[in-house]
Amino acid sequence: MSIFHNMNEGLHDICYIWWREMKLMVKDEGVIIFFFIVPIIYPLLYSWIYNNETVHEVPVAIVDDSHTSLSRQFIRMCDASADVRVAYYAQDLDEAKSLVSRQLVKGIYLIPSDFDEKVNRMEQATVSVYCDMALMLAYKAIFQTAQLVSMQMGNEIKTKLGRHYTKQEELIASKPLDYADVPIFNPAGGYGSFVLPGVLVLILQQTLVLGIGLAAGTAREENRYGQLVPMSRHYHGVSRIVAGKAMAYFMVYAVMGAWLLAGVPRLFHFPQLASWSSLVIIALPYILACIFFGMTVSCLVRYRENVMLLMVFISVPLLFMTGVSWPQSNIPGVWQGISWLFPSTFGVRAYVRLNSMGASLHDVALEYGILWIHAGAYFLMAYLVYSYQIRQAQKEIKIQHAAMKERVEQRKKNTK
Amino acid sequence: MKYLSQIALLVVRELDILRRNHLYAFCMVVFPILVLVFFTTLMEDGLPTEMPVGVVDLDNTSTTRSLTQRLDAFQMSRVVARYPSVSEAREAIQRNEIYGFLYIPKGTTDELLSSRQPKISYYYSYTTLAAGALLMKDLKTISTLGSAAVGQATMRAKGLTDGQIQTLLQPIRVDLHQIANPWTSYNVYLTTMIVPGMIMLFIFLISAYSLGTEIKFGTGKELMEIAGNNILVAIVGKYLVQTLIFLAIVFGYEFYVFYVLGFPNLGSPFMLILLGVIQVLASQGFGIFAFGLMPSLRMSLSVCSLWAVLSFSMVGSAFPVMGMDGPLQTLSWLFPLRHYYMIYQICVFNGYPIIDAWFHFAALVAFLLLPWFVMKKIKNAMLTYVYIP
Repeated sequence: MSIFHNMNEGLHDICYIWWREMKLMVKDEGVIIFFFIVPIIYPLLYSWIYNNETVHEVPVAIVDDSHTSLSRQFIRMCDASADVRVAYYAQDLDEAKSLVSRQLVKGIYLIPSDFDEKVNRMEQATVSVYCDMALMLAYKAIFQTAQLVSMQMGNEIKTKLGRHYTKQEELIASKPLDYADVPIFNPAGGYGSFVLPGVLVLILQQTLVLGIGLAAGTAREENRYGQLVPMSRHYHGVSRIVAGKAMAYFMVYAVMGAWLLAGVPRLFHFPQLASWSSLVIIALPYILACIFFGMTVSCLVRYRENVMLLMVFISVPLLFMTGVSWPQSNIPGVWQGISWLFPSTFGVRAYVRLNSMGASLHDVALEYGILWIHAGAYFLMAYLVYSYQIRQAQKEIKIQHAAMKERVEQRKKNTK
Repeated sequence: MKYLSQIALLVVRELDILRRNHLYAFCMVVFPILVLVFFTTLMEDGLPTEMPVGVVDLDNTSTTRSLTQRLDAFQMSRVVARYPSVSEAREAIQRNEIYGFLYIPKGTTDELLSSRQPKISYYYSYTTLAAGALLMKDLKTISTLGSAAVGQATMRAKGLTDGQIQTLLQPIRVDLHQIANPWTSYNVYLTTMIVPGMIMLFIFLISAYSLGTEIKFGTGKELMEIAGNNILVAIVGKYLVQTLIFLAIVFGYEFYVFYVLGFPNLGSPFMLILLGVIQVLASQGFGIFAFGLMPSLRMSLSVCSLWAVLSFSMVGSAFPVMGMDGPLQTLSWLFPLRHYYMIYQICVFNGYPIIDAWFHFAALVAFLLLPWFVMKKIKNAMLTYVYIP
């Protein structure tokens, strides 16, 4: 009987705390920003920024010292390519350089005066490419276009020089071993499709931690004694508090998670190879891990704003530690170790592989397992820091109570 | 003289605030240094090396094996496994074991020797853009080399000279000049944008935070009293110490990166100093302005952090601004980091004259002057606002 009574009471308390937390959430504008506005608006903004995926028509300047039909063919073919646009013709390299310095072009193609002559003499001709290395994507476009065009023109020249009998023989002679270039998973090499899945998963963790931290800060500041946990009939029993609060956050982030992990990719046509069920299966431990991680962090900050100073700057390093921008195989061991502390590392890896690469749940078993371990470990941590908080609160109250009693007695004495 | 003594008093007061609240020490010194160490050690190699690739060699002859060995010898690739089929290699990519693989079908050598033009393929994943692009380069080179080796043997048999063979294999050669960053180092390319961006983020936050806490702890009136009710004196006195600390951090970063690590710096040292000064002042201007617009600690901090995080995308270093939609290209002007980055890459990285970046200088000066619009509001806030949690 008493077990049932306890359970009933516990459920009541959890629901009470959950209800109170929900009320706090919608009242606090800081929490509203990080729980609702940022997760909804930011993905849209990022998707807009990266919506064009690749850069086309990168402007280049041409310095044509050759002035022959062959050099003009080279220029025409470059201009006709998707990635490069011939924006200026410069008289010499200095003029072209000043065009680069004024940001009018991103690179220079220099065709030397002996270009045509060399080709006709059966010597190797060169085309010089000068790249502004400030933008990697522009460099890639400029260099690869020059390479492609020179290879194409080279093949034409080769077949002319080779003295072959049949078309087929020409073809084989120009390329004895054929090859196919097959980019898989994000075949267009789009920037958005590559970076955004990681960013979406990271937004989920960061907004959760910021929101929970702000909510905790508010609770602390509104509390008369500056304590995180209010003294109330319902707030005894650490597990009840942790469970009640987590339930409130989970409710919001079940919706936000669906929006971030499934809605946004669908809206902007980013890769989405994972099935609903596997997304749910991976999101569950991830969101739980993030919630308990957030609750642990929230106990460490004294003032509500401090959590922003601590958590915002860490976003960019966290993104790099997931191995999306910089290959995971090349992250130094120290940082690999530190990255294991954050749920986002494994959340991003699992999500990218499930959703962008079409892996099965079996392939991300390691990440999945670690996310559950994170959820468990951070739950324990949250439990410990909360019970510490409660003990602190009780101690404080006792001291205050004793002080009050003393004052009352003092007054009684005085009146006598 | 009166102003000077007031400022001196405020500086002493500010020093005391910075000493008492440890958060300042962390956000102004510890975290920026941590971020600098993080990015410079993360990308220490400049380019990712020895990335794991696989091979699906169904032909398994000495020719194809030598192809595999040569791929392994490349700096960026390391052949870690052989797979019996393409689908197993693909699954290995999905398990995150390799980033790409070379597929050599059965009979390749036979067809090659009887010149029936066999076809090999290479697969690479673009979910990690840098790894994919770099591996593609290696895999493509190895495939062309395979082609060239056969052609070379045939031509030599026909009695052509080495020079002629080279011409016949590649009639037009691309002579690449990678200006200022010949190593294609990602460290040079990313660290020089992200670390200053991080420092600017901290300047935004701390600038808004230190004004906001005056209201939060109810010391705004005291601040104005010491400043003789002159808001300009109050702002200058309050931020002077912070400016100096941030300048030290920025100069420390510049010294470490450009002189210790030897990152390309074609401009003059004078330019670095100028860039550092305008970076710190413009960021402080933005932070104070954000607070002036919304004199509430939490709102101004939120705006500053959201703006700063967005800067890393709008800066247009990884994904160029010219590739974005038109409205975004204009919006990028509203981000101080964008202007900082443009000045950096024009005047420091490439070493072009400062006149070519005049617009971005003007923009940063405008950010520095922004607080002028909200001075009155800040004064009002300091004198009358009461903190509501």
